[in-house]
Amino acid sequence: MSQPVRNTLAELREIRALAKLTLGGYPWLLPQTEIRSLESPLDIDREVQAPQGIGAIALGGEWWPVYCLSGELQLLPQLPDSRRICALLDNGADRFGLICDQVETLAETPRLLALPACMGSPDSPIQALAPLDEGLGCVTNTEHLAALLASLAEGASGH
Amino acid sequence: MATESPRESTAWMLALDDRLRAAVGERELIHLIEAPTLLEVPLSPYYCRQAILWNNLLLPAMDLAAWLHKQPKANNNWKLAGIVAYQPAPNVALGYGALLLAAIPKRTQVTDTLACSLPECPNGWRELAISCFRQAEEAIPILDLPHLFTGGLLTR
Repeated sequence: MSQPVRNTLAELREIRALAKLTLGGYPWLLPQTEIRSLESPLDIDREVQAPQGIGAIALGGEWWPVYCLSGELQLLPQLPDSRRICALLDNGADRFGLICDQVETLAETPRLLALPACMGSPDSPIQALAPLDEGLGCVTNTEHLAALLASLAEGASGH
Repeated sequence: MATESPRESTAWMLALDDRLRAAVGERELIHLIEAPTLLEVPLSPYYCRQAILWNNLLLPAMDLAAWLHKQPKANNNWKLAGIVAYQPAPNVALGYGALLLAAIPKRTQVTDTLACSLPECPNGWRELAISCFRQAEEAIPILDLPHLFTGGLLTR
C-alpha cells in the first residue's frame, strides 16, 4: 500500500469543518466530509468478519467493515462499554466503520499546530494537533487511518 | 610568561529526577514553568508523552530520566518544566522545547579543564549529551538539545 499523503498545516487549515471522534477518551479530529453516516453498534453484524475487524454494517448495498481502535489507535478485539456509536468513514477510496465513544462536529475549526518532530515519526497518522477544552485533539483523516489499519492487519497476520 | 586562564562559561544544572543531573548552556534555558499543564499526545514516545502550550507554541515536554531509565515515570505530577531554546541548524530559526525537572535549576561556572568522560551508568548518556564536565566529584553531561528535540531519539 502506498504511503498516505501528508498534508501541510496550511492545507489542513483549509478544512472547513472537523468532526471529533472520541476513542477511549482521546479526541481524534477528521474532516466532517469524510463521515458518510453514523450508525448504532446494534447494527453491526458480527458474523461478517473483516481481518481484525469486529464485524460489518450494511449500507447502500455494501458491507462496511467495522474496527474498534483504542485512543492510541491499537486494535481492540472486544467492544468496550463506552463505545456507543459507529462512524462510517468514506473518502472515495477507503470505506470502513470506526466505533467511537462519541462523535460530534466542532462548532469552530480549532487552531492547528504541528506535531513536534520528537513526538512522532513522519508516517504518524497525526497530521496536526489542536488545543481543545479537554486537551489536545489529533488531526488525521480516513486515508491515514486506512493505512494504519492495513499495517496493523498485516502485522497481526505475521507479514 | 603569563599563563592564560581557562575560559569560563556559565551553565544551568538541571535535576532530571532525584538523582540524575545534566546541564545546558546559560542562554539555552529561557523560562521556568511551575506546575505545568501537560497535554497528553497519543502515539508519542514514552519519554515525551506530553506537550505544553507556551506563548502560542506547542512544545514537546521531555522526561529524560524516563529515557535513561527506559521506563516512564510512575506518577506524572511534574512540578517544574524548563523551557529551552536551541538552534536546529545554522541560519535556521530557534526551536523551543520543554524539559521536565525535579528541582529548580542552579547556575554553575564551567571551564575546559573540568571536561570529563560521560557517566557509564545509566547507559544512554552518549545519545543525549555532547560533552561532560566534573563538578564536586559528579560528572554532569551537557545536553545536545537540537538532537533531542529534532527527533534524534526516535530512531532508537
